[in-house]
Amino acid sequence: MTPDNPALRHNALVYQSVDEYLTRAVPFLRHGLEQGEGAIVAHTKAGISMMREAFGADATRVTFVDVGSAYTRPARTLAAYHQVYAEQLRRTPKLRAVADVQFGPDPREWDLWTGYEAVFNRSFGHLPAWVLCSYNANGTPDPIIEGVWRTHPEVVDGDGWTSSGRFEDPDRLLRRITPTPELIPQLRQIPFDDIDTEQVRERLAAVLTATGIDETRTLEMLLAATEIADNAIRHGGGIADVRVGHAHGRFVCEIEDRGPGFDDPVAGYLAPREGIGSGLWVARQLTWQIEFFRSPAGFTSRIWL
Amino acid sequence: MLFAARRYDPALETPFWAYASFWVRKAMQELVAELTRPVALSDRAVRDLSHVRAARNDYLQQHGTEPTDGQLSAATGLTPAQIESLRATDRTARSTDERLIEQEPASMTFGETIVDPRAEQAYQEVLDQLEIDHVLDLTDALEERERMVILSHYGLGQEPRTLSQIGAALGLTAERTRQIESAALHKLRENLAQPATIALTGT
Repeated sequence: MTPDNPALRHNALVYQSVDEYLTRAVPFLRHGLEQGEGAIVAHTKAGISMMREAFGADATRVTFVDVGSAYTRPARTLAAYHQVYAEQLRRTPKLRAVADVQFGPDPREWDLWTGYEAVFNRSFGHLPAWVLCSYNANGTPDPIIEGVWRTHPEVVDGDGWTSSGRFEDPDRLLRRITPTPELIPQLRQIPFDDIDTEQVRERLAAVLTATGIDETRTLEMLLAATEIADNAIRHGGGIADVRVGHAHGRFVCEIEDRGPGFDDPVAGYLAPREGIGSGLWVARQLTWQIEFFRSPAGFTSRIWL
Repeated sequence: MLFAARRYDPALETPFWAYASFWVRKAMQELVAELTRPVALSDRAVRDLSHVRAARNDYLQQHGTEPTDGQLSAATGLTPAQIESLRATDRTARSTDERLIEQEPASMTFGETIVDPRAEQAYQEVLDQLEIDHVLDLTDALEERERMVILSHYGLGQEPRTLSQIGAALGLTAERTRQIESAALHKLRENLAQPATIALTGT
């Protein structure tokens, strides 16, 4: 991050010991503070205590974030950090952050979080922020560490700062790890007279309440479907079909439009800003997952509640 | 059950019944997914799981050993029953042929230690409670009349009514009621387009 290039710098710290973490993270943040930048530490409760102690009296100048609240699923995690960064950048022209990343032990989730790290490069690409994602190398499985090198342009470890030769274009990586949506034949059509957004909400609400889904989650689905339906009407030549049902224990709603659709692996993951709409960002916050795919009949958005 | 057996890790001290019940439940989900309400983990449960992971990582870093459910309970504020259930969803794979004591050929394999799961009902109750506890009430941002229009129109917690019926009850035209709904939806959307809330531990 230089005055000429205020955009995001997204790097990783791979450390072998707590001492190494402190030796890297504390001077990194202190240097920013000396230059009038904001400082953010995201870590577990114990990690935050350790960093508070390391900063001493200066801990009051640091914003601490409990990662226990942050790493739920990528869309929510991005929104959570967006809040923290936006608040910090209201107080200082730039910021530095050290964020300990929580992958969890389930290998089925690793691609999900590697995808999150990839999309981070684009989601906050416009922010004057230097973010150092920290990984404890001890006990972190090799595939996760490999993902670190693929999603961070620079990595600092025991050998110092290294420009990653394995860094992969975020869009390309996301396309590579995102599974092709499978057909869900058991979904059924919702009949419509004149498909507008209000009618989509009414019919969908009837199905959701009849299924026994609680009010809060019903409203979340209605709001997400509103965003998708509005997009279909505005950009997709109108709504062609709406299908609903259950798959893998979740309620699913597919909205198909008549347009050519889009091919954007980060759709809905970019923090809203000038030129970037917030519709899909909002829809992703409210629901479990949203998939987009083309079929001979049209372009389909699939919402998983 | 075989799935559960393959993935269970006795070193983590979670009772096998709590763990196996997740897999029994998962198989049941797949069988009845079309007929039942969604039963996958709620957002709240996922958030709780995230807390458990963070607390576990803290403990591992400090002590080099796995925390007990009681220690995780103390660290997260979740009940031991919730901890058990959440941890049971978060296991890595383990083979039934794997020996309980590594490099000890006489040791029993993990598959030989399996007992019959008996506590599906207990797990069900915990998971249901997690669902009930999930109260991200979006409508808190709305004025009373806006909330009433949205809930009535879409039948949330009551029979659905048309905008004309709702308007008549409020002494308003259907068009005015539609405008109130539209404003309410806009307000909800704008609130969500703003950055989400995250727990700051102090500045």
